Amino acid sequence: MRSLTLHLKVLITVLVLLGVAVTAYQIFFLGIPVTEDETDDLWNIDAKVEFVASTKDPVKVQMFVPPLNRDYVSLNESFISNNYGVSVNRADGNRKVTWSARRASGNQTLYYRLVLTKRYSNEKTTVKGPTFRDSLAVEGPEKIAAEALMAPIRQHSADVETFVSETIKRVNNLNDDNVKLLLAGDTSAMKKAQIIDLLLSIAHVPMEKVHTIRLVADTPQTPELWLRSFNGNDWLYFNPDTGEQGLPSDRLLWWTGDDNLISVDGGKKANVTFSMNNSEMNAIRLAKLTDENTDADFLEYSLYSLPLQTQQTFMIMVMIPIGVLVILVLRNLIGLQTLGTFTPVLIALAFRETQLGFGIVLFTVITALGLSLRSYLEHLKLQMLPRLSVVLTFVVVLIAAISLFSHKLGLERGLSVALFPMVILTMTIERLSITWEERGGGHAMKVAIGTLFAASVAHLLMMVPELVYFVFTFPAVLLILVGFMLAMGRYRGYRLTELVRFKAFLKKADA
Amino acid sequence: MFGLIKTWKALEARGIMGINRRNADYVLKYNKRHLYPIVDDKIITKERALAAGIHVPEMYGVIETEKEIEKLDQIIGGRSDFVIKPAQGAGGDGILVIADRFEDRYRTVSGKIISHEEIEHQVSSILTGLYSLGGHRDRALIEYRVTPDQIFKSISYEGVPDIRIIVLMGYPVMAMLRLPTRQSGGKANLHQGAIGVGVDLATGVTLRGTWLNNIISKHPDTTNAVDGVQLPNWDGFMKLAAGCYELCGLGYIGVDMVLDQEKGPLILELNARPGLNIQIANDCGLTQRTHAIEAHIEALAKDGLTEDAEQRVRVSQGLFGHVHPH
Repeated sequence: MRSLTLHLKVLITVLVLLGVAVTAYQIFFLGIPVTEDETDDLWNIDAKVEFVASTKDPVKVQMFVPPLNRDYVSLNESFISNNYGVSVNRADGNRKVTWSARRASGNQTLYYRLVLTKRYSNEKTTVKGPTFRDSLAVEGPEKIAAEALMAPIRQHSADVETFVSETIKRVNNLNDDNVKLLLAGDTSAMKKAQIIDLLLSIAHVPMEKVHTIRLVADTPQTPELWLRSFNGNDWLYFNPDTGEQGLPSDRLLWWTGDDNLISVDGGKKANVTFSMNNSEMNAIRLAKLTDENTDADFLEYSLYSLPLQTQQTFMIMVMIPIGVLVILVLRNLIGLQTLGTFTPVLIALAFRETQLGFGIVLFTVITALGLSLRSYLEHLKLQMLPRLSVVLTFVVVLIAAISLFSHKLGLERGLSVALFPMVILTMTIERLSITWEERGGGHAMKVAIGTLFAASVAHLLMMVPELVYFVFTFPAVLLILVGFMLAMGRYRGYRLTELVRFKAFLKKADA
Repeated sequence: MFGLIKTWKALEARGIMGINRRNADYVLKYNKRHLYPIVDDKIITKERALAAGIHVPEMYGVIETEKEIEKLDQIIGGRSDFVIKPAQGAGGDGILVIADRFEDRYRTVSGKIISHEEIEHQVSSILTGLYSLGGHRDRALIEYRVTPDQIFKSISYEGVPDIRIIVLMGYPVMAMLRLPTRQSGGKANLHQGAIGVGVDLATGVTLRGTWLNNIISKHPDTTNAVDGVQLPNWDGFMKLAAGCYELCGLGYIGVDMVLDQEKGPLILELNARPGLNIQIANDCGLTQRTHAIEAHIEALAKDGLTEDAEQRVRVSQGLFGHVHPH
């Protein structure tokens, strides 16, 4: 007996651990969202390119577009342009779109649209970058000023990261005479970046300009300049105004380097305006959408890979153990009396078709009428099988009549009873009537109400969308459930109703 | 909530056994499934008992098919009182007790006059499985009608009072006298409204009783005191009950017996899932007693000993007998 208990404990532990582990793997490693409501932002970015084309020359517009190689996944990308040829090419880690046309005149408008979302898997992709470079040539007073600035920077820094951020801070100190000299009165971000680049080059620290777009809805913006340096493992991003390290998560890298966003041959007054908005999308659906574009194949072996129709069936099926668990708790823990063990679960499933309120009414009406028929048949002294057949036929006729009436009355709900399991109803009537005879009407009512109550609770629980989603997405939860059921199998404490039943003992003890 | 926890603790302290514990620790542990038919089918029980030399009410005949219903007359013969029972009935349902007979009419114990056709229909209902567990086909059993000993007249209303003893591995654990009431319709089942009266295992003197989960000391119909009555032939009952372990092989059973005016203690039926209300009747929990028996068996097993029915009865009487009346 003891070994059996140990066996059971080990089994329960293994099942629960397995269930928890698989679920945790799905949640934390594969990143499958825990609730259906969990949505991911879907960004819709429009870049509107406007320029005035000169009448004579052919037009060639080149614009950087996001390389999309790190944190974001493109779901859709489109280039909207009349009469322009479009080509996209990659160079130096950037992507560039080229619109070209032989002849164009007047105001021209081109659109670039990108739909993207954050990448799901948090796998680290290895990146490469330069770790050394030559110094930029600098002469005369600038050289002295630069060297004067370098000395304290060297003193106050320990590695590439602190060196770069110290440099940026120094250059942003506009009261420093050396900085004033180097900037030569131009305090624009580009000029500052150029000076920072110069200073870093003297120390052979590589530096790149990064142009980013902020993912904020409905605010007009221009690309924002960031600096980045490669420390051997990863790119370090710096704010050129403050020297702070780290790129905020809402920044989308658009292009790197010194070039302008757009260059137009055969046109002038080029202007790019960005507008973006975000929409939300169910995370699983989004994952499936990106699935085609990425290597994230974690849905391959889940129930989601089944055909849609089968999925819907399984959504009901995986909830049956939950319903059974409800009955288990109600019967063994609470001590509620129900008709049979799993009849309440079957009735709960039937409630799916009819909705709860209508289902209860229907169940009550049909059972009451069936019971009266059964008690009439009792007088005829029929054998069991013919009697059951009569009751079943009566139930079918009754359901047909209810459907017909409700249809005539315009209540489409009545038609849903068609699938209300007639055999279950018949058996319910039969067993209820036997209970009635054997244990009396009061007890039969108690059992009937208990059955309806258990069915309602099971139905309500089986219909909670969050729970359905959770169990369907993480079927390993069922293993945890089995663990609990096994534990219940050796539960030997009192049932709640027994506390009432054995009350007599307490009165005695008090007296 | 707090009150419930208090109740729980109090019941636990008194060793009251709940359904879950009975099922997990006793029924599932000691009762092997394949032995159930022996107790579920009264005909098999009877055959086994006869083979073991244990007293049971005499069996007049068995009806197995509709065709055999014709033989009913022949089985009854000239007898004027008899009992018709479903072999696999539960809770005393479907039992017809005929007390008298004149010409073509029969009179039941409750005084109802019924015709021969009605008896035949009753047998037919039994055969179709109306009263059997699970509703499958059943057999009808016609047997000797027990006439209860005069001793019960004073404290019983009508019907046949019986004695239920719970036996664990052959050791009687707790006993109760079940008295039919007007509400129970002459049946001796507690859930149908019969009274359960605790019995001292050593002396056979009745204690107080339970009726519908309450503790009582008077019969609600006759208002006679139910406690302090000395049951005759008590040791005979105890030995009979203890011997049922060898008879059926089930370790945890409720043995139902009657005291016939002429034939003395007889086994009526065995129950593999005896109810728990016997605890209220005896005002005592089962758990401590079953634990004591389990400890005793373990101690015996260590020495490689086993005891026969008579020894087991004495052990039980020594352990649980001589309860002080409240």
